[in-house]
Amino acid sequence: MMQFTKTTGRLELPTVVSFSSGSCFSVPENLPYGGGSSKSGEHMEQLLVHCANAIETNDATLAQQILWILNNIAPADGDSNQRLANAFLRSLLCRASRSDSCKLLTAVAYRAIEEISMVKSHRFSAVELASFIDLTPWHRFGYTAANAAIVEAVEGFSVIHIVDLTTTHCMQIPTLIEALANRPEGPPIILRLTVPLLTSTNPPPPLLDISYDELGSRLINFARSRNILMEFKAVPSDPSDAFDSLIEYVRLHQLISDAPEALVVNCQMLLHTIPEETAGAIHQMISVSSTTTTTTTTTATTITTAPIQTSTPFISLRTMFLKSLRSLEPVIVTLIDEDADLVSNDLIGRLRSGFNYLWIPYDAVDAFLPQGSEKRQWYESDVFWKVENLIARERLQRVERQEIRSKWVQRMAEAGFRRNSFGEEAITEVRALLDEHAAGWGLKKEEEDLVLTWKGHNVVFATSWLPQLILPATIMP
Amino acid sequence: MPVEIDSSSAMTVVSNSISGDASVSSSSGQKPQSPVVAAKRKRNLPGMPDPDAEVVTLSPKSLTATNRFVCEICNKGFQREQNLQLHRRGHNLPWKLRQRTGNEPKKRVYVCPVPGCVHHDPARALGDLTGIKKHYFRKHGEKKWKCEKCSKKYAVQSDWKAHSKTCGTREYRCDCGTLFSRRDSFITHRAFCDALTHERTAVENADEVKESSPPSASASPISPMKKKIFSKKSEKASKLQQEFESTTTSTTSPSPSSSSPMTKSPTTTVTATTLAGTSNTTTTSLFTTLFAPLTNHHTTTFTDLISSFSPRSYIPVVPPSSSSSPHMSATALLQKAAQIGATSTTGSLLRGLGLGLSTSTSSSSLMPPPPPLILHHPQKQEQEEQISVGLSPRLGLGLPCYDELGHHNATEMMMSSSPLFGQRAPTLDFLGLGMGVVGRGSAHVGGGLPPLLTSISGGFEMATSGQIGSGKPTGNV
Repeated sequence: MMQFTKTTGRLELPTVVSFSSGSCFSVPENLPYGGGSSKSGEHMEQLLVHCANAIETNDATLAQQILWILNNIAPADGDSNQRLANAFLRSLLCRASRSDSCKLLTAVAYRAIEEISMVKSHRFSAVELASFIDLTPWHRFGYTAANAAIVEAVEGFSVIHIVDLTTTHCMQIPTLIEALANRPEGPPIILRLTVPLLTSTNPPPPLLDISYDELGSRLINFARSRNILMEFKAVPSDPSDAFDSLIEYVRLHQLISDAPEALVVNCQMLLHTIPEETAGAIHQMISVSSTTTTTTTTTATTITTAPIQTSTPFISLRTMFLKSLRSLEPVIVTLIDEDADLVSNDLIGRLRSGFNYLWIPYDAVDAFLPQGSEKRQWYESDVFWKVENLIARERLQRVERQEIRSKWVQRMAEAGFRRNSFGEEAITEVRALLDEHAAGWGLKKEEEDLVLTWKGHNVVFATSWLPQLILPATIMP
Repeated sequence: MPVEIDSSSAMTVVSNSISGDASVSSSSGQKPQSPVVAAKRKRNLPGMPDPDAEVVTLSPKSLTATNRFVCEICNKGFQREQNLQLHRRGHNLPWKLRQRTGNEPKKRVYVCPVPGCVHHDPARALGDLTGIKKHYFRKHGEKKWKCEKCSKKYAVQSDWKAHSKTCGTREYRCDCGTLFSRRDSFITHRAFCDALTHERTAVENADEVKESSPPSASASPISPMKKKIFSKKSEKASKLQQEFESTTTSTTSPSPSSSSPMTKSPTTTVTATTLAGTSNTTTTSLFTTLFAPLTNHHTTTFTDLISSFSPRSYIPVVPPSSSSSPHMSATALLQKAAQIGATSTTGSLLRGLGLGLSTSTSSSSLMPPPPPLILHHPQKQEQEEQISVGLSPRLGLGLPCYDELGHHNATEMMMSSSPLFGQRAPTLDFLGLGMGVVGRGSAHVGGGLPPLLTSISGGFEMATSGQIGSGKPTGNV
């Protein structure tokens, strides 16, 4: 503590002085990254990389110096690139403050950290959240594409069970209810909605200021106004165990349900929070520590029992989840997620790829929210949450583990799903949606999938999947 | 490529003032047209061009050309010289109209110059120049007219003007006063808006006032429930069908009758259930307490509730006339119960029914863990066997621990019905402590459950199955 205080007092001036000479380090000329950022963006990215390196190598002095520079060239209220860099800067500070070995930095960062901790994610009311999500096609793109695919897939079914895996608190469901209510053959008799109630202490934003009970009752109420009988169930579960309890709930429900039920699994930007292979060591640890329960569950839930127990030391929770999903025999799985590769275990790699993806939300916001508006603060603090999670968190706490579309396509294929292409209807509706938003948004078709783009860069992909008819392994009835 | 005839002399010759660049591809070739357009023009429907008409392809340049005949006095522009001449009369300037000759102008139809466009094909040519110009702008032009209110964009100014006049008036308006330009936005808002909730509550209240002849125990918090379920019993069965039908027509603002089909539907199953009689004796302390003031009806209804969870065994008993499915009644009852739960201060009904025992409640931080409930069904053991196919497995649903000691029936049944459970059987935790079924004993399931389990083990507790759980969220217990 003494050391801490001393350091604080000593640090301020010398750092400034030594750095204003600009001779402390040199930026390598050509780093191999293009990305979508401007020149100044690339420059800031390099500074961030150096800073991260300094932090990782415990070079507190260098780190301070770079942080100081960054802080000056990347104000929190600057242009989109500056705000992006600022978010990464703050995240690096958070990271430094969490690691024991960087006490010095903590001192420097003290004020910044204080500021950061003031920025709390806004808690939305449901109506507020609805209009907030309406501002950009970031989520609505996936909603629209998925709704069209789902309505098509459940045609003729009168009992529909939707498992909605999303971070946006069922905001897609009203339009889906509406679409089902208006379908030619009439509304379904029963619509079941099962959602995970995330048990994490730090769930991804946006946050809701009402309970899921309340949310569910509103949805039920709305469904009733559309002549659909709806049942709502929130199952406490978490990506850190691959939504195990949710899967189990659905499985049990299927076992006992009497009528044939069309199971729809709608995955909107939540599956990337399930730990993948780079978090595998952790999973292994869990397996060892709670051998009995884990193995039991795995045995019962997945079709890959044998590999787990014999040869492979572990399979990732992500793979396990998809296989469990497959074993539930859904009529359709819609998988929508952010098209980025943020799973690198190496901080620098993550920083680079994150920097070259997350500029998009900062850049796009200028098109729909004025600087300084309250909503913009909410929006940017939610983006910051992502940056912070990506940079400052490790292991199971790091849930921003996006993978690119082709990787998911491979995973889905391996789990026993086959690609379902989006119909003309879906494309038309997505286009109509994008017409309502800024000109920078675009739609791209890649193979069978739809991709939302911003100024030509991939943002979000939408894929839809049917169970493969011939299974790779035997499956429970 | 269109033939360029860009000269003013051509303009006068082709007096239809098709602007300059016209290529004429009809068989009749290009011959001078008689001047003046006074003849009434018949607008051809798109896709039904006059076979004798000349097919004209205008270049994009000429299609987008602005008014080229400008009044030197007021700078007003005209697309046609004749119109300018007419306009000049107003300024008392010399003017000159061309006299029409005896020849009727040859009919012309216009195709879009963009290859691949539907109107590129002469068979789908448009009948007038304005039409093709607007088409070209709308489909292939830039949308530069943006509505300030709703951000819709238009390529044709007149479209934008027409929209601006009605924007906000013809859009979607929620009862809360918020306006929406997009249906999806409106729908999503509507689902979560208090306006819908209030509307429904008002309807419900009105409904209850109407029949304010409480039979008994009106002081009890569950009395509204009883009223709903029991006092209406006689006349509702017949009314139900009608009401159910009325709800299948559309209602956005439901009438009192259409708003409550679910609340009444239980009565249909009550009348139809023979199973009801068999379990009169099974009501336990809890239910006796709950329904104490009532005599026969309540047991019947409760049984109905139970039996409705085991549709396989009881569906055959239901006469085909009661079209509402068993799910209908169960959920309806629950929804009603949930509403009461939400309004009553004690909320004892929901919890009393065991709704609080679903997993979500017991581990959700939003709610305190429900008190342990003990329900003994000693006499029901035999009847259980009869209906176990449908009923027993449900025990495990809301409360995923079906493996308590007194539950051989359920367990055996499940083991035999699915190898899945067979595999799991060896590790079943008969103390109900390990929570193995819920999933690897992760922290989030901890807390209230184990004591809960032990307290209810041995009892044939709970129709607290998933379906009750699913109906639960309405209840703010």
